[in-house]
Amino acid sequence: MGRCIGCDTCTLSCKQENGTPADVFFARVMNCEVGKFPDVKRVYLPVLCNHCGNPQCVRACPNKAIFKQDDGIVIIDQDRCKGTGACVSACPYGNVFLKKEDSWYLMNNTAYEEHSKSRLEKNVARKCTYCAHRLEDGLKPACVVGCPTTARIFGDADDPTSEVSQFLKEQAKDSGRMPFVLLEDSGCRPTTCYLEPIAKTKTAKLC
Amino acid sequence: MTTLKKVPGKLHGPAKMCGDVKVIRTTDSPNCTGACGWYATVVDGKIIDVKQAADYGNPEYNPRGCLRGAAMPNLIYNPDRIKRPLIRTGKRGEGKWREASWDEALGLIAGKFKTIIERDGPEGILLFNQVVGTSYVQKAAQVRLFALMGASFATAYDFNGDIVMGFTHTVGIDAMECESLNWSFSDHVLLWSSNVLQTRMPDAHFLTRGAKEKNGAKIIYIDPRAAQTAKAADLWVPVKPGTDGALALSMCHVLVQKGLVNLNFLKTYTDAITLIRSDSGKRLRASDIGIGMDDEFVIWDESSKGFSKITNTTLKTDPSVNPAILGEYTARVGNADVGVRPAWELLKANILRDVNSPERAAKITGIAKDEIVQMAVEFARAKSPLSIIGMGLNHRYHGDLAVRSVILLHALVGGFGRKGAGITVYSGQHNFRILTTSYTIPDGKRCNMVPMHYFVMGGPTPTINKKIKFPKAGFKALVVSHGNPLVTEWSSRMKQAIDKLDIFVTIDFLMTPTAEYSDVVLPAATPWEKYDLVGTALHPYLQIQQPVVEPLYESKTELWMARELARRINPELSKYFADDEFGIMELLLKNGGPECQGITLDALKKGPVRLNVPDPDDNCYEQFVHLHPFPPRAYPFEVKQQREFLKTGRMEFYKEEDEFKALGEALPTFKPPFEHLAADEQKYPFAIVTPHSKWRVHSTHSNNTSLLNLNRKPVVEISFKDALEKGINDGDEVELFNKNGSYRLWARVTEMIRPGVLSVDHGWWDRYLADRGHYHSVTVQEKTKPTHENYYLPAVYAPGQLWKDTLVDIRRCS
Repeated sequence: MGRCIGCDTCTLSCKQENGTPADVFFARVMNCEVGKFPDVKRVYLPVLCNHCGNPQCVRACPNKAIFKQDDGIVIIDQDRCKGTGACVSACPYGNVFLKKEDSWYLMNNTAYEEHSKSRLEKNVARKCTYCAHRLEDGLKPACVVGCPTTARIFGDADDPTSEVSQFLKEQAKDSGRMPFVLLEDSGCRPTTCYLEPIAKTKTAKLC
Repeated sequence: MTTLKKVPGKLHGPAKMCGDVKVIRTTDSPNCTGACGWYATVVDGKIIDVKQAADYGNPEYNPRGCLRGAAMPNLIYNPDRIKRPLIRTGKRGEGKWREASWDEALGLIAGKFKTIIERDGPEGILLFNQVVGTSYVQKAAQVRLFALMGASFATAYDFNGDIVMGFTHTVGIDAMECESLNWSFSDHVLLWSSNVLQTRMPDAHFLTRGAKEKNGAKIIYIDPRAAQTAKAADLWVPVKPGTDGALALSMCHVLVQKGLVNLNFLKTYTDAITLIRSDSGKRLRASDIGIGMDDEFVIWDESSKGFSKITNTTLKTDPSVNPAILGEYTARVGNADVGVRPAWELLKANILRDVNSPERAAKITGIAKDEIVQMAVEFARAKSPLSIIGMGLNHRYHGDLAVRSVILLHALVGGFGRKGAGITVYSGQHNFRILTTSYTIPDGKRCNMVPMHYFVMGGPTPTINKKIKFPKAGFKALVVSHGNPLVTEWSSRMKQAIDKLDIFVTIDFLMTPTAEYSDVVLPAATPWEKYDLVGTALHPYLQIQQPVVEPLYESKTELWMARELARRINPELSKYFADDEFGIMELLLKNGGPECQGITLDALKKGPVRLNVPDPDDNCYEQFVHLHPFPPRAYPFEVKQQREFLKTGRMEFYKEEDEFKALGEALPTFKPPFEHLAADEQKYPFAIVTPHSKWRVHSTHSNNTSLLNLNRKPVVEISFKDALEKGINDGDEVELFNKNGSYRLWARVTEMIRPGVLSVDHGWWDRYLADRGHYHSVTVQEKTKPTHENYYLPAVYAPGQLWKDTLVDIRRCS
């Protein structure tokens, strides 16, 4: 959150990669305004599926269409999903998207969007997969490679040699920042974690 | 893993693409100045994916690119694409068109041009294409055609108000810009209404990660709004709009009072040591006292206790000479004794005037006195202080004074010439990184340069510079290319000026409100459908823009249009357009000057190539490090042309010309932002700021439906306090109005803005406003400042703009 500039490039990179229709944002940035004038702060919170250690969506799905892979990624099987929406209600983070009808950005049915449409199952729940298809090819998720501020550091935090572990260690030392997760009380044990912003915006005294 | 087969990814994993897959490296070149490299994945001739190329030699620049670049395919395949040439059949702006062949459309334009050339002369035909610095080939081809015709050319940079006259007055060049990497070396950053997190997204990490995370820099954000950048700031300074100059001068006041001034810097680099005559207010010339020429200046040497001359050819002085910076001396000029004082005497006295005291400045700016004192002291302590100036400061009638004050602040502490220190501004990709005159000035033929201001105002001002040849019969034809001035600049008055024309042509790839008001619309290829050569001030790499797909529909490149138009206007001109894009690039690289020496087309085809510039590419490097005289060269001009208005070869804080004296602006001074307005313009209670949006580049991407999904409708930000008083709720439809006009949009009530200030993002197309009105209709009337007209060098010394001096009122629509 120190590096994130709230630019939504991750949002667009994700949409490019995953070809999601209008109003579906696997990755997005929450723009938060805190306080009362003049003592205000602006906070940007980039969010995506937390790929929880204890995913509520998995438990909620009546069709056993959602499961956790060995690498920790939570996947919705697009073949098994019947679009009940149970996972949408179960996710405390609002990270699962289910739409009866998809709407698209370009009215004139371009080949550009046709490509995305042809690859999407209709009326099923969808969410961030950490770009599992890219990971298979040894690439990082689209939002990670797209972030112009390298605010997203991707990897296995359980592996002490990974980039993300090294980064967390470095930050704990340099800026004293320790990772935290969203809605810790949810019991979901999210794996997506955050470091708080470095700059603590103060407002100049007014007269 | 069967479950993955329908994960909606595009290129990787088990569901890999089939078909004819190409990955093409290209670059952006819009007026955001980003010039970011992209890889576009093209399958069977259709773009299906874009990713940042992240292939810059210096890994610090990777990845470079923002959401607008990522959303570019939406514009390429947008329903607003112009498919074929259009000729108006109804009234202007009525929206009635017929499609025409290229031959007919170009024939019509050429016919009109020929008539105008024969009847009124070629100067009556005016080209207005957005900043040529973004496109060394395609836009340059248009300039070449107009030069060959002897027609007129107006640069958008000054008409946008992006020209920073405060720089021109002080350092003889319109912008001091460093590569953004340089920010990361700073330990103290002042952002003067520069919302870099929003407007410089690919570079912002040099602040958040570089300056802040690595250096622990203090970041101070000065803006009436806690905009996006407030997020990265340690201190938000919500000044009253248009009072930044007062803040800077009061910080200067503190520095002088506390003795925190670097006199050595002032002596070496500035005009502080030049002697000013008390009789005329002019600088004492060496010729006045018979010790040299009239372009040489005089100092008082403490060592020899006598006058000594300095030249404008170097900043180096004889080590035995010790220039006086204080005192009063008598010079014998002709038969008279004339009192002379070093400029620092005048400057110092000016800074120490009571009006610049923190107490007084507190009242003007709204920022507490103690805070100003602390800001000044911390600034003086910084090792590498950096200021980034935004256009909120500059798009004002007295923006030049504010910028001069910020430069003065840096000069007082010597805050220049070190890694991470200095002042920078990024106000448009006007900056030519290489010399392009080999193509734009064919056989010595040049365009007749006229600032667009005079076109819009309907004629010259009484103070217009005599070098400017306003066509005798007025303008008869206008060609707008790569621009949308009816949205981003003057709407109503520009329409009146357009209504007087014989023909108004727009070249664009989208049907913008400007195109809708045209007589003939020519469909251009998008940036990703043609070749070009691109440079920017923000990073030191030269890049080729490559076509990713073939031009859609019947769209054509600007070079093709120029060639075809030339042939129809005068067959003799055809020979000037024999080269294709590669031929032109070869020519430019060969004649582009030392910056591109050794750079080949083949190297560029492989990826970005670093220009031959210092590392980091700092502003005024030659001056601060090698003591070359100011100004740095402003391509495509010669330094001697800039020397005309920076006679001393030093940073000039004292301007000796009569125009400055007449306005009381010989020295950096604060002038209130709204007092120059007519009484009936001053009575409205709200200042309105119009920041650039993160969803657009000026007005480009207004109609990008991917981005509209995240930014659904135009809003005016209003403080809780003001909203309460006005009975406005969040989401209400409201009207902004003043004597100049009105438009409707929706209210967004927020705590993040200073009461008394409204904010509307710049550049919404008319059709998105609640009443389909004009976003610029309330803007104050155009006027030029005499101190912007006393010299003229296009886009270097030219009139600026005053958009942000607008006052409005707001009401809830029932």
